[in-house]
Amino acid sequence: MSEQTTSGTASAARRHDDDIRLAEQGERWLATGLSCEPADRAGAEAGVRIAYALAGLPAPRHILWLGSPAAGALGVAMLRTGQRGGRRDEHIRQALEAQGARPGELELGRSVRPKVRTRPWAQARAALTAKLGGTGFARHWAATARRPWQQLTDQLATPLRTRIDADLAGRLSARAGQTDQVAELPQAAREALLDAIGGQHDAAWLAAFDSHPDVDGLARVAGSAGWWWAFEHVAVLTERPVAVHRDNLGRLHHGDGPALFYPDGFGLHAWSGMPITAEVAAELPHLTVERIRGEGNAEMRRVMLEHFGFDRYLRESGASKTQSDECGTLWRVTLPGDEPLVMVEVLNSSPEPDGTFRTYFLRVPPTIRTARAGVAWTFDLTEEEYVPLQQT
Amino acid sequence: MFRQGDVLVVPIAREELPEGLMDAPRDRRNRMVLALGEATGHAHVLTGERASMLCPPDEPGRLYLLIEGYGRLAHEEHGPIALAPGAYKVVRQREYFPGAIRPVAD
Repeated sequence: MSEQTTSGTASAARRHDDDIRLAEQGERWLATGLSCEPADRAGAEAGVRIAYALAGLPAPRHILWLGSPAAGALGVAMLRTGQRGGRRDEHIRQALEAQGARPGELELGRSVRPKVRTRPWAQARAALTAKLGGTGFARHWAATARRPWQQLTDQLATPLRTRIDADLAGRLSARAGQTDQVAELPQAAREALLDAIGGQHDAAWLAAFDSHPDVDGLARVAGSAGWWWAFEHVAVLTERPVAVHRDNLGRLHHGDGPALFYPDGFGLHAWSGMPITAEVAAELPHLTVERIRGEGNAEMRRVMLEHFGFDRYLRESGASKTQSDECGTLWRVTLPGDEPLVMVEVLNSSPEPDGTFRTYFLRVPPTIRTARAGVAWTFDLTEEEYVPLQQT
Repeated sequence: MFRQGDVLVVPIAREELPEGLMDAPRDRRNRMVLALGEATGHAHVLTGERASMLCPPDEPGRLYLLIEGYGRLAHEEHGPIALAPGAYKVVRQREYFPGAIRPVAD
């Protein structure tokens, strides 16, 4: 809000400079979290040693490198259990052995994540809160870390963790009834996932603290590598992805290959933020109305619909226009075993460079009866409330 | 109320502005950005004279506009909108997704 006094103007100018600096800091950390550069291994290892030193710990005796977060979790599990894994994990075991770390012959020691990661974060947060006050800290967090947190934790690290965990859970259920020994490796890898440190994905919160002395080690690793693990005697570090594809909301999204892809071949296929299997991903370019209609999994059908294009589906499936008004056109088509697909076709009010007007489709609840009510719903308003004076 | 693509700006009475609002964070070009496209980099941006973008301290995503001079809303793909003095609330467009509701980004 506007400032009246001279000193108020000076403090407003100072706050203005601060705001720009904080916004730059947030953007810089977001870029760090999205980096697809090969790891700066020397930089990351130096960061690990600083992080241990700040925690009052001797440096780890061994620092090992693996190609992806999934390989990291399984590699840690191999070292923890001594299990060598099956054929599909062979590349991980070989990578460990090439670094002189044979499963069963290297002692990890206890996890030091609470000392290396959790405590410094809490310390940095307490220091900043003491300096800025509660509201000041909230403002600082909003200016620096809100977007990195949303983009990195919500859109990347959480889906990634969920997918790796689901893969491991799938392996366990596939082995149900077999010996405990066979289940030991995926079980230990699931536990390792809980112990991972975010590396570049820690940029989500480091954005608020930048190079605060307490988090210096973590910040250096975050600027140099992907997920990592900290144990008394061993640190396991992993590479950053080689590709990250996101949509306009920052959700993982790619129609031609994995949306997130690591140098050891591990990848995550996703469409509009929804993780999909490689098999479904391969099918997407060849979909038909019949194939989509026959898909039993409702979530997959939605992915297929989006990829196929709502407008094309409506056209090719004989959907009916149920109503038109000045807000657009309402379409409806029944889906077997699912609620009806009701879409409002909206005319964009600004012309494209060639003078035509682009239309776009938004899905609305099946209870919607008019295009106006549909558009109003997309803005959380009733049909009566929605009266735009101007649209562009 | 005014619609610019996926953003709706709804006039409200000044008394309807929640208590304790702060200036919402700006981007690194010091712009007041109502909504940003992560992939395109396109943004709904407020400029003007004595125009502020405000939010509750604990909810930086909930945006209000307070225009005391004049305001102008611009976007790379949409025509500009002039905002008269007054208070406004910003609503992002969403779409229905069985079991969930998702925001829209144009």
